Amino acid sequence: MSTTPSRRVGGLLVLLLATAGLVGTGSGAEAAPVTVNLCATQGSLSLPGPATPTIWGFSTTATSGDCGAATATLPGPVLNFDQGDVVTLNVTNALPGTRSLHFEIPGITFDPGPVEAASGATVAVTFTASAPGTYLYQSSGDAGRQTAMGLYGAMVVNSSTPNQAYGDATTAYAVQKVLVLSALDPDFNAAPDSFDLNDYTATYWMINGQSYPDTAGGINAAPNQRLLLRYVNAGFDNTTMALLGLHEHVVARDARLVPHAFDAAAETIPAGATEDAIVTMPASPAPPVAAGYALYNRQLHLTNGVLNTPTPAAGGMLTFIHP
Amino acid sequence: MAKRTPPLGLAVALVAATALTVAVQQDAGALPAGFPKTGMVCTPGSLAGGARTFNLIAKTGHIATPDGNSVFMWSYANADAPDNGAFQSPGPVLCANQGETVTVNLTNTLSEPSSVIFPGQDSPVTASGGSAGLLTQEAGASGGTVSYSFQASEPGTYLYESGSDPAKQDEMGLYGALVIRPSIGANYAYGADTQFNPAHEYLLMLADIDPALHHAVETGATYDFNALRDRYFTINGRSFPDTIQDNGSALLPTQPYGSLVRIQPNTPASTLPSLVRMINVGSSNHPFHPHGNHTTQIAQDGRTVARTEHFGETIGSGQTEDFLLRWEDQDHWNPANNPFPVTQPNYRNLTFKDGNTFYSGSPYLGYKGTLPTGTVSQNICGEWYFPWHSHALNEFTNFDEGFGGMGTLLRVDPPGGCFTVAASTSIVGGTLVGGNVSALAAADGSYYQVGPKTTNKTGNMTSGATTMTVASASGFPTTGQYYVRVQNEVMRVTGGQGTTTWTVARAQLGTAAAAHNGTLPVSALATDWTATFSGLPAGATNLKVTYTGRNCGNTTGTGCTAIASNLPQQTVSVCNFAVAPVGCPAATSPGWTTLPAPPAQPQAVGSTDVASTWSLPTSGTFVGASGSYKGQVKVLVHNQRWTAPNPTPFSTGGNFMQLVYDAP
Repeated sequence: MSTTPSRRVGGLLVLLLATAGLVGTGSGAEAAPVTVNLCATQGSLSLPGPATPTIWGFSTTATSGDCGAATATLPGPVLNFDQGDVVTLNVTNALPGTRSLHFEIPGITFDPGPVEAASGATVAVTFTASAPGTYLYQSSGDAGRQTAMGLYGAMVVNSSTPNQAYGDATTAYAVQKVLVLSALDPDFNAAPDSFDLNDYTATYWMINGQSYPDTAGGINAAPNQRLLLRYVNAGFDNTTMALLGLHEHVVARDARLVPHAFDAAAETIPAGATEDAIVTMPASPAPPVAAGYALYNRQLHLTNGVLNTPTPAAGGMLTFIHP
Repeated sequence: MAKRTPPLGLAVALVAATALTVAVQQDAGALPAGFPKTGMVCTPGSLAGGARTFNLIAKTGHIATPDGNSVFMWSYANADAPDNGAFQSPGPVLCANQGETVTVNLTNTLSEPSSVIFPGQDSPVTASGGSAGLLTQEAGASGGTVSYSFQASEPGTYLYESGSDPAKQDEMGLYGALVIRPSIGANYAYGADTQFNPAHEYLLMLADIDPALHHAVETGATYDFNALRDRYFTINGRSFPDTIQDNGSALLPTQPYGSLVRIQPNTPASTLPSLVRMINVGSSNHPFHPHGNHTTQIAQDGRTVARTEHFGETIGSGQTEDFLLRWEDQDHWNPANNPFPVTQPNYRNLTFKDGNTFYSGSPYLGYKGTLPTGTVSQNICGEWYFPWHSHALNEFTNFDEGFGGMGTLLRVDPPGGCFTVAASTSIVGGTLVGGNVSALAAADGSYYQVGPKTTNKTGNMTSGATTMTVASASGFPTTGQYYVRVQNEVMRVTGGQGTTTWTVARAQLGTAAAAHNGTLPVSALATDWTATFSGLPAGATNLKVTYTGRNCGNTTGTGCTAIASNLPQQTVSVCNFAVAPVGCPAATSPGWTTLPAPPAQPQAVGSTDVASTWSLPTSGTFVGASGSYKGQVKVLVHNQRWTAPNPTPFSTGGNFMQLVYDAP
């Protein structure tokens, strides 16, 4: 899902973007009250293999509390707001069983009020999107088991300056890509309440809920374009992503500018953290392979599923930036 | 190249191979002639007109681990001399200069396609030959070839590794370091503010190994990559304590790279920092702890960063980080005249692990102390050791046994080198005025003071007599010719040395012969004393003698009467143990070799301390090699004074004497 910054008005457009996995609001020029309805439901994920593990995921709905038509996605839709938006999130817990959903966005202080939704109930959290940046939203209920099941997604707060990730001009970009990193153990997902977490062994490593080769669609950026990569590590592991053939300029972590931006060819995004890095595409791109510049998990999580084989097929957390 | 000792695990195979007179496992070369024992060793490849070429072979082999295991590995070998394709782990350290065109030709002898990728190289890497693979062009299995070429555009520390089947091939060991030196000079890491001491450039490449995977690959068995559990953790392909063995150690024929970091404190004459290049080619992020020290990070992934200081820094998988290390002996603590203002702990409250320690027995840099009975010291000259290791302590093990794994040592030698002070003194021409050998241990104003020997002559002596009878020859030289003074005449003793009847030549040094009747004092004109250093480690090099001393106008008492003119002439010599009589027993023994200039000798030394340092002569056996002289260095301090027409006596005070050397 590669996007250029969206500037849109009206509820209808919100719905359209929701279908595309992008939810947001605002004219960009002025802050506005925004309401997004989220449902947490059970669904399934399509992974190479093929595998279709059960997941719990967020999705958006037109009507608060009505999850009848909701389809769980992993990760959840990208919540896209403009700096200054006054946001209301109506989060409905339609998860199986009787469990409480605990909603949180690290780095965002909600207005006083409950953040838990009992089974079948809806909780409204409100906040002002005062600081631009890349955030992670998640449900940490069931002592984190809900996160591991897939209840997470990215939230982007657009800077009030168009085509800039932050107020600083060094964060200007032409195109951007949200990259939600996570991992999944189908055995856990099959028995989320009873699984012994000491036995947790992730076998699928995903970018935006997909493992290679499903990620082969990749990221597009034209020569000389500045490509903003918004990393969101929703997984359990500190994840080192390598970029082969280019450096990325790391400008922010956890939705705050770093004091000294730097160039990296392999960069570790801690579990639960976010990071913004800008790749400047060469004037004459010549990547090592036709697919483009590989962006991949350097911890070698590059396989799919349990593979008792002498030579595994390529998979896992791998995609390409296409010139 | 000479055959080296194989690891234990290969012993049986080696016996069989030798019997068949087929090629055995060759040395891990990658070490050009004259390689240093510690520090980074480059494989230079070949250079022709700005084009540098490396020829690599992807192949299989084994490494040894400290617990006695032998692990099957894949790696890159250097196809060129002196290695000629001998297996080594990790791959050779490829060094190039900024601006060069680097070509890497790969021949793949593995059973599946393989390749090389160059993370961090932003200049396009063009490939020729082979076939398209996942991340780059690949060389086919069992002999396929591919060639890569790129511009070394930016200086820095990089890695190279396999881009094929990376979950398997990178873990199996297909990795190595790539260093690009900046165009401003090889003694810079990056820009002008990154100059380092080229004698102290280190590479620490971290990796991890799951031997179960390696066994599965060796036997063609299946393996679940999700079950990866690393058991061995390496720096430059070795696990601790093998990491502190020298580069090219014969004990580790396929693991040529050591990782001991060895520095000296900065001094006013030597202010450049050391450079530590770190690379993590493993699949885990490794928190690396330069124990007891801060290191200054200057770069990541071949690009400079805002400097930060660390005593713990996670090197991410696939990352490189560069650090400058500077060690200042700020306080100059020493036990003699600048001791710690606190009481040191009692040994009974301390533990010396396994009775084996790198501690010198003294908390002072450059000093050795007494260790508890049964404790074996690995410490050579009072140097300090700090463990540098992964602070994920499961990685500081060899198959779960600690200490081991991802660890090495930082060795801090004393400023200027190891030093030792004299263990004993001996007067070979003179008489003790005061002090003992301990006065020479520090330049602290306490003196080992020696006066010219005196005795009495007896009987009457005409102006032409050539025989003189003395009360005692004790303290006078026992061989060789030497001067003595009786009243205002100087004579040269030419015979009867060591007895009480001397043969003398009269009217020496411009004096006039005269009759000397009755009992009169006889004084030597020189002082001669030796200092002996002991316990010098075999292989010590670059020896230097430092001596600080003076001469006084008085021969008794502890004061120093000034000498204004006709200063005594001082000559300091060192014993050549190759010349008989061995050990230079007398002041005039032929083995004494004057320490060569600078400073030139003899030197005029009066009542103000003169400090001098000499390097030892280049030829000769100045460190005793065998018997009771083993590990000894003997130094002779000779002072003589002649003032016509009325000779006046003097005494020699030694304030400080030490031997400085580079320990092995």
